[in-house]
Amino acid sequence: MPYHKFKCSECIPEREKHAVIKGPGEDLTSALPLGYLNTIPGSISERGCAYCGAKHVIGTPMKDVIHMSHGPVGCTYDTWQTKRYISDNDNFQLKYTYATDMKEKHIIFGAEKLLKQNIIEAFKAFPNIKRMTLYQTCASALIGDDINAIAAEVMEEMPEVDIFVCNSPGFGGPSQSGGHHKINIAWINQKVGNVEPKITSDYVINYVGEYNIQGDQEVMVDYFRRMGIQVLSTFTGNGSYDDLRSMHRAHLNVLECARSAEYICNELRVRYGTPRLDIDGFGFEALGTSLRKVGLFFGIEDRAQAIIDEETARWKPEMDWYKERLQGKKVCLWPGGSKLWHWAHAIREDMGVNVVSVYTKFGHQGDMEKGIARCEEGALAIDDPNELEALEALEMLKPDIIFTGKRPGEVAKKLRVPYLNAHAYHNGPYKGFEGWVRFARDIYNAIYSPIHQLSFVDISKDEIPAQTSFLTQKMISDVNLSEEVTASKELREYTGNYDTITALRNKTYPDFPSEKKLSAV
Amino acid sequence: MEDMMKDKVEQLVDYIMKNCLWQFHSRAWDREKQNEGILTKTMQILCEEPVEKETPTDKVYWVDAVCLADAFKKRYSWLATLDKEEIKLLMQGLKERMDYLTITGSLNAELTDPHY
Repeated sequence: MPYHKFKCSECIPEREKHAVIKGPGEDLTSALPLGYLNTIPGSISERGCAYCGAKHVIGTPMKDVIHMSHGPVGCTYDTWQTKRYISDNDNFQLKYTYATDMKEKHIIFGAEKLLKQNIIEAFKAFPNIKRMTLYQTCASALIGDDINAIAAEVMEEMPEVDIFVCNSPGFGGPSQSGGHHKINIAWINQKVGNVEPKITSDYVINYVGEYNIQGDQEVMVDYFRRMGIQVLSTFTGNGSYDDLRSMHRAHLNVLECARSAEYICNELRVRYGTPRLDIDGFGFEALGTSLRKVGLFFGIEDRAQAIIDEETARWKPEMDWYKERLQGKKVCLWPGGSKLWHWAHAIREDMGVNVVSVYTKFGHQGDMEKGIARCEEGALAIDDPNELEALEALEMLKPDIIFTGKRPGEVAKKLRVPYLNAHAYHNGPYKGFEGWVRFARDIYNAIYSPIHQLSFVDISKDEIPAQTSFLTQKMISDVNLSEEVTASKELREYTGNYDTITALRNKTYPDFPSEKKLSAV
Repeated sequence: MEDMMKDKVEQLVDYIMKNCLWQFHSRAWDREKQNEGILTKTMQILCEEPVEKETPTDKVYWVDAVCLADAFKKRYSWLATLDKEEIKLLMQGLKERMDYLTITGSLNAELTDPHY
């Protein structure tokens, strides 16, 4: 096994089996790190907790809901606003965060009364919102507050409201992934099947494992609507609570982030017979194939192909402009979970960059299988890295850019490595054909930023290049390009709008006559 | 001949590993069904045999199989030089290799977890 031992972790020998280098001739039967295990004591992990995984990642993107945490205010505050999962109802779910604000006295005397009071107050403060998700935290779980009973009491007293209870305290798993699992199962057990939807199309899907980061969901839903497909629910970005109660009526579950949401797809498959189709929303070829698959499933492949042709013609010349300038750049692809495999091959194919390392904070071995399979030889794969290991890897690999979260990203900057936010994005959305070009533009701007070039100057010994201080990205990126490329009439920089989402919200879609009698329950 | 077939199988494996997701469902029993369902239908499409797609499960396997067969034909021109028996032999080799890489030889400790 080609394990990689970090020098900084020699004092934590168990860490050795959490990193591998995919060498020549290596495959998944010889190169796979351990994963989804408890963080080793002494290793300062970058992981989140199971409460965060349930509330922040999956619960809170639901848009028409009060998301209440039963615990200290810090739990809700620290899982608020950092992921930019916007919504088309004026971002209600991002504007506010709610907690029962448990204190020491509640640990001793209990906090059920406090919880009930907070639930009722929150509903009164937002009289137009009739849905709530309620999250257990470590503190309330340890003292045994019965939040299910309180939720039931409130629903009896206020029959117009509905409350979902998520029992995923922070200690409920090795990482945020434990919370993903718990909220998936809790949602299908408590809520799916409770609402009968209005079916408006012959072709009905749930779009699962999609969190509408900077509008990703709205871009993809636009494609589906252009194909005449009804997106019954999105689990959960820009998703509606009641739509998600009717997931059982879809014909197909289209799954994007299998790491966070395969559980509910698997359960829907077992309980309701709804098949699961895993797709990639990133990358020209991968996205095109994904749309084609959905089209094929419903016998409307021609509609998918029309979108692929139109979008490719519009955006490929812009992607290729960036590809010429990003060719061979070294990338550390260090996201949380699914993007390591969503992006690993697509960025190489479409942007010409070379992924020298993948890591995952909370991915399972299955995610590493997907990620390593999509990398070329020589890639360093790390499970649950600590900060020192990340620093050592950056010094060893000397990447041109890193895609990661804002905590490790800011650390990378200190090593003069520019970073892009893989979780919340810089100038997203990154999904869709246009979104993928926006990602390439962000990579280009980061690598060739004239300001960033100055960080390579050591002012204690280097001469300050005052005569060449005026630079633009293009002056730096085009130095070694052929005239054929720089003078190309085909290739062009990104020409899209600053805001690509608002227009989608007012768009009208073609009317595809139904071939079957539709049910309106 | 055997080496040539092995090389062709590896080319197909490489395409699947880089571009597909269906082979990595989270449990061994699920991967067995996925590999069997999709690769059998891919073989049938390549051999121009009838493919079952009446149930939702069969249809979703067929969807992946159609895209896989198209990608194979587009990328690997040598496929057109094989007769049906050779394609069947090739796809059998591919299925065995995929089963080994993703199931029987896999180091993924979660594959045998009885729960999702």
